[in-house]
Amino acid sequence: MEFVGVNRVYGQVVALDDCFFRLMPGELTFLVGPSGAGKTTLLRLINREIKPTCGEVWVDGMPAHDLPARRLAELRRKVGVVFQDFKLLARLTATENVAFALQVTDLKISDGEARERALDALDAVGLHNRAGHYPDQLSGGQQQRVAIARAVVSQPPLLIADEPTGNLDQETAWQIMTLLEDIAKFGTAVLIATHNMEIVNRLQRRVLTMAAGRVVDDRPAGRSARMMWAASS
Amino acid sequence: MGGILVGPRPPRWRTFRTVARNGSRYLVGSAVRNWVRNLGSTAPALGSMTLLLLLLGLGLLAVLVGQTVAATEARDASVLHVYLRDNATDVDVNTLTARLQGDRYVQSVTYVSKDQALVRAQSRPGLPQLANAAESNPFPASLDVQIRSIDRVGSVDALARQSPAVDAGVPSSYDPTAYGKFQQVLFWSAAIGIAFLLLLAFIAVTVTSNSIRAAILSRRDEIGIMQLVGAPTWMIRGPFVIEGAVTGAAAGTLAGLLALAVAVAAVEAGASSFAQIAPGLTLQAGLAIALLLLVLGLTLGSLSSLGSVRRYLES
Repeated sequence: MEFVGVNRVYGQVVALDDCFFRLMPGELTFLVGPSGAGKTTLLRLINREIKPTCGEVWVDGMPAHDLPARRLAELRRKVGVVFQDFKLLARLTATENVAFALQVTDLKISDGEARERALDALDAVGLHNRAGHYPDQLSGGQQQRVAIARAVVSQPPLLIADEPTGNLDQETAWQIMTLLEDIAKFGTAVLIATHNMEIVNRLQRRVLTMAAGRVVDDRPAGRSARMMWAASS
Repeated sequence: MGGILVGPRPPRWRTFRTVARNGSRYLVGSAVRNWVRNLGSTAPALGSMTLLLLLLGLGLLAVLVGQTVAATEARDASVLHVYLRDNATDVDVNTLTARLQGDRYVQSVTYVSKDQALVRAQSRPGLPQLANAAESNPFPASLDVQIRSIDRVGSVDALARQSPAVDAGVPSSYDPTAYGKFQQVLFWSAAIGIAFLLLLAFIAVTVTSNSIRAAILSRRDEIGIMQLVGAPTWMIRGPFVIEGAVTGAAAGTLAGLLALAVAVAAVEAGASSFAQIAPGLTLQAGLAIALLLLVLGLTLGSLSSLGSVRRYLES
């Protein structure tokens, strides 16, 4: 996934200004910065919820910046998305939530296959024993695991997560981050927007720091540092 | 992570069955389920569309009757029936016939006796009962004058009225204003009817669009997730279009049945009375109009919901 000179302007407000960066397969990257720095705008550009004002966004060889509407579904199947508020369907069980994502993207997947793959995904996120539970019967951390299982069940090359631990306590947040790290190990590029600096510093992975719509720092994995925006706040 | 199952390719019939099952579940099943669940918010759309289609159906029935009457009027307008007195002498009748045949605007003159007039009346809707009810033959002998131009009917009529053979009470079938008035009434009725139907169509489409918009809003979480995971556009829009089609089909069926009931009632009432209530109207025509209303309802419902979906559902 690559951003090449991407700008996004809302009226008079520049939300994203001349962004360049590239994510490689299997790379886990944190996107940090104060509120309003442009993190969510950047994530929304990746699965083409919005279009860039100028510049190019490439996802697994597809030009997200210039994709006709009829090919958006194809792009979105390449991008797993995880949100802070989980976005699970309350009327479906954990298995059904995951299987639903499979079957609405490919009608050729039978009930049996969808269920089997959903159970595999739930097993991978440690929720095999909660497969038949409805979202309101699960804790926040468990719901986020179901959301992650749904995001990765079709094995997309890229996973983006917008504040995935925002609603979770520190211990659960750590478990979720470890899970996302495991997903990256299997070759998926993972981009996580977060405010949780403790986890960012502990995991020692690549960190993109944003401020006022610009990527102001790009620190490679393994270098512990205090973030610029944190220093200024 | 969840691995993709690897195995032999399933037979084509099984894939087809899976697609059909999933399609019916996620498209048709979901649409019908939502239609039933949202019946309260769909009711205004259903009502306005039924009203529109019913009025259209009744309008079509009226057009059918109007066309029959207009054709009869046009045919009759160029034929002048000159009614003869019951005691008219053969000489007077022959003289009148000769004078009419001598007129350059007259194409032909045919003598119709009282018996022939009765037979003819018995073939006309509504008149047999009248003929049977009368003790003696009430229909006069006449000369049927076929005139070349409808504009010359008046002058030929004036010529005929001079003859002593003509019935002084009802000399002829000529009414200088009747046909023109009839045409005008037909024209203005059609114009007002079409304007009214267009207004109603606008209301029905707007109300249906709004009900689909409400359905979209009530399912925005599910739609959001479907968009998020990359469901194809037709998969997201399909259930709403089908939901609109179901509304249209229900409205079409209701309106069709009501229109058919009106047609059947008119045919039956016409058959059992002296007056011809709906000339040209048959049971087959009523059935055809009912079927047309069903198809129109389906089309209108699908198209208005498709428009709404395109407008309110971001891709």
